[in-house]
Amino acid sequence: MIKKEELQSLFENELKDKLAGLEGLRKSVARRILGGIALIALPIIIGIAVFVYIDSNINMSMDGLAKVLPFIIIAFIITGIVLLILNIKKKKEYRRRYKIEVVCEVVKAIDSEWSYAPDDRITQSEYYSSDLFRKNFDRYKGDDLISGSIEKTDFRCSELHAEYKEVTHDKDGKRQEHWVTIFKGLFFHADFNKNILAKTYVEPDTAERLLGKFGQKFQMSSKGKLVKLENIEFEKTFAVYSTDQTEARYILTPAIMEALVNIYKMYKRRMYLSFIGSRVYVAMSFKKDLFEPKIFTSGVKYSDVEFMFNLFMMNATIIHELNLNTRIWTKE
Amino acid sequence: MNTTLIIILAVVALVFLIFIGMYNNLIRKRNEVDNAFGGMDVQLKKRYDLIPNIVATVKQYATHEKELLTKVTEMRAKATSGNLSSDEKVDLDNQISAGMKSIMVAVENYPDLKASENFLNLQRTLNEVESQISAARRTYNAVITDYNNAIQTFPSNIMAGMMSLQRKEVFVIPETERQNVDVKNLFN
Repeated sequence: MIKKEELQSLFENELKDKLAGLEGLRKSVARRILGGIALIALPIIIGIAVFVYIDSNINMSMDGLAKVLPFIIIAFIITGIVLLILNIKKKKEYRRRYKIEVVCEVVKAIDSEWSYAPDDRITQSEYYSSDLFRKNFDRYKGDDLISGSIEKTDFRCSELHAEYKEVTHDKDGKRQEHWVTIFKGLFFHADFNKNILAKTYVEPDTAERLLGKFGQKFQMSSKGKLVKLENIEFEKTFAVYSTDQTEARYILTPAIMEALVNIYKMYKRRMYLSFIGSRVYVAMSFKKDLFEPKIFTSGVKYSDVEFMFNLFMMNATIIHELNLNTRIWTKE
Repeated sequence: MNTTLIIILAVVALVFLIFIGMYNNLIRKRNEVDNAFGGMDVQLKKRYDLIPNIVATVKQYATHEKELLTKVTEMRAKATSGNLSSDEKVDLDNQISAGMKSIMVAVENYPDLKASENFLNLQRTLNEVESQISAARRTYNAVITDYNNAIQTFPSNIMAGMMSLQRKEVFVIPETERQNVDVKNLFN
């Protein structure tokens, strides 16, 4: 497993060249997108301007140019659309190469034993097993699956986006559909080091953060009974629900509570955890797409690689902070 | 006249309902306390069952720890004998915890014992039970705090006074558990 300082040298020595090699491809993709948009937008603007001009000069009769103008405009627009469609393939190629030549390298640098599948994701059944989000989804997407193990603890992690379709009717009774996100971000699960029989959930605590102790009165969940814990900082950040009060405390020892607060401070993201069966599930919310190449700004940036590295390190961080490799209990 | 009567009746009914609610809430909390205490007892029993096994295994290898082992065995016998007040029981269990811990420290001096498969299994089981005991204690404390808050805050303290419910003490982690275990001085 490499450290951050080694990442810098990996970037300087290897990744920088690969990224520079990809720059040509990125620029041509960007040019085509801009060209395609220009071919569609400009004729429309010119067309509108011409027709407004003709309209305001009613005396002017439609001469030859004006007659063929619509056809010219349509021809330009079609060319633009074709260019954009052809570009999709090229963009895919750019994305594929970026994933293999850059993302994969970063993963392998962290641990050469880990496997990385750019187009694979946490399966729906794994997502259901976590029981973190009970709202039924209509669309389930994800990519960048990483799996492997750190010492005794195996894990799987990928980017996920689960959404449901909401249908509303406006004033005129017109049907409107839009997609609502249930969860978007990184989804991770690993082998837990203790035997679990009940179900325990750790969620971001909005009520208590806003209303203090009084907020506890509003903490309710269909997932189980509220578990009040002793760590004040933890209680302000998270709300815990469980079907077994004592088992929740068996899992969330003072050390684990502290670790979760640390992880939260490190990433500052909404975190959802569940402890079910023999595994711990962690879902960390992100608004933007992760591990995707940029098209319109330079791809050769250390900060991007560093960001990626930090996200991948989340797997190791969670396993280390939660001490999942400590196997001193009856579960081997 | 009629309306006044209705209002009075409504107020009386409302107060009555509030009292029923408070009464039920307090009873529920008291039962939760009993339940949590029971949960702790279950875990402690598991440890009592484990002690003879551990003592027997350690005895085979660790010849110089006789005194320590006898002490723990005696304490276990006392704890399981049954005629103890709950305060005495808590105290004794804390001593047993400390005793078990010092056995585990003493074991460090016997490499053969540490390598024994049987002992490793027992050690894992003990860790498991100790974690369960500590979780059960924390549950007990949380439930007690809830109960104490209920019987001491207004307005449910009125009802609690009528039911003569007493404040209960939370579990305090004994001084011996906070300090590093000093094997020699433990039983002086």
